[in-house]
Amino acid sequence: MKPRSDYELSLWRRLVRFVDGETLADVERRAEENREQDAQSQKKVDVEAEIRFEQEEKEDREDRKRRLEMEHQKEAEALLEKYKNWPKEHGVKIFGRLYAVMAVLLCAVVITTLLVTVSYLPEYGSPNNPNNNEVVEKYNKDGLYDTGATNNVAGMILDYRAFDTLGESHVLFVAAVCVMILLRLELTKDGKPTDVKRAEEENDRLYEPKNDKILQLSAKILVPVIIMYGIYVILNGHLSPGGGFSGGAIIGAGLILYVNAFGFEKATRIMNRKNYAVISVVPLLFYAIAKGYSFFTGANHLESGIPKGTPGAILSGGLILPLNICVGIVVACTMYHFYTLFRKGGM
Amino acid sequence: MEILEMILLSFLVVCAVSVALSKNLLTSIVIFMAYSVIMSIVWMILESPDLAITEAAVGAGVTSVLFYITLKKIHAMKGEEDDEAEE
Amino acid sequence: MEWIRFCVIALFLAASLGMAVISVAGVFKFKFILNRMHAAAIIDSFALLLAMVGVAVAYGFSFATVKVVLIVLLVWVASPVSGHLIARLEVTTDKHLSEECEVRE
Repeated sequence: MKPRSDYELSLWRRLVRFVDGETLADVERRAEENREQDAQSQKKVDVEAEIRFEQEEKEDREDRKRRLEMEHQKEAEALLEKYKNWPKEHGVKIFGRLYAVMAVLLCAVVITTLLVTVSYLPEYGSPNNPNNNEVVEKYNKDGLYDTGATNNVAGMILDYRAFDTLGESHVLFVAAVCVMILLRLELTKDGKPTDVKRAEEENDRLYEPKNDKILQLSAKILVPVIIMYGIYVILNGHLSPGGGFSGGAIIGAGLILYVNAFGFEKATRIMNRKNYAVISVVPLLFYAIAKGYSFFTGANHLESGIPKGTPGAILSGGLILPLNICVGIVVACTMYHFYTLFRKGGM
Repeated sequence: MEILEMILLSFLVVCAVSVALSKNLLTSIVIFMAYSVIMSIVWMILESPDLAITEAAVGAGVTSVLFYITLKKIHAMKGEEDDEAEE
Repeated sequence: MEWIRFCVIALFLAASLGMAVISVAGVFKFKFILNRMHAAAIIDSFALLLAMVGVAVAYGFSFATVKVVLIVLLVWVASPVSGHLIARLEVTTDKHLSEECEVRE
């Protein structure tokens, strides 16, 4: 701590000097000596420091750069870590809360919509309800005469309302095409499976028994029975409960069992992609040609020109039997194709 | 017959709720299969055998198989995960 | 005559239900999967047979009897095979199998 410049002139110093017997000149001389010593030592220190500083400055600049970079990096890493954990710690919480809120909102909206719709429905059991009007009576009374099918449902969906069923079959076909776009794995140009596809196939049959004798034997017994039952359901669709969709689903299940038992190599001899395209498009085309005119006649019943036959015989009902076969083929192929696409990305 | 119907419908409700509540996806699919089977019996009681056959074949058969394959593809089956963790 | 027939039908159906209850209890009681499969197979084989015999007696000898026999045959072919596949998958994938049963390498 340095004294003030007029410290020596202050009253207290004068008193001290008077007591010590010194004069002002002595004090000044001593102070000057001190200052000179200080300056010399300061100079030395300065020179040394300058040399050191010059040496250090070069290193320092690089060091500082490096240190700055390190600090930046550390900051960046800390930030990264902070934000890396953010989604796990807070993001999930926020998203979960938002998800819950949105789910509840959506649920509430759907429930209110449905309830409002239900409130507009006619009263249960009222005689003016649509299910008691003349349409049902007509279908029940004239169904057998008009369509020639003893199964009223088949007569309705494949004759009176055949156009709706046409749309349904096309929906299935479009669904199969969409799944094909999403899941199909392409072949290479030589026609051999790519590495992805081969890996997929190997991974697919990892835990699965290959060529299991018991499964093959039972499949030999069961698959013909299942497929025959499906064909029976399709062919008898206009006589007894059943029809194209049910029989097609049964046949598709039988084909899936066959594939599981004997592997894809044996199945693709018949069910390959070319055959699938032909098999599923031709029935759809036939259906569209046979019933497309409903689009112009307002989905009303029209004479097809094919004799109805005696009700109850297999060859009766006009166009219902061929249309049932068409729907059945489309549904069976689509089921099987879905399975192969999900399983290994293509037939 | 009404008692049977009521039992089946209550089964339906229980199945539907437990599908949503079960933690394991595999369990959900099995319960969904049971739901489809009960639904097909209900269709049978409601005198629409066409729908019953379709529901049994599509709902209980093909749909569950597709679900299983999807679960296998996305490695969501619980046992497989455990095996991988051990390896 | 009628009530004898009714008693036979009731006996068969009740026995089938009892078998089903035993089977379900076994499925929930056992912990290990192969034991549970054994318990579950009772429903597919024995309970089904008893129930179908009851149904056949109820309908008398007619076309329905043939259908019943076919159903029993089909399920008896299909159920053991599916059980075999599940057991095989379990044996190939379970690494703690030796804790539950003897394994012959």
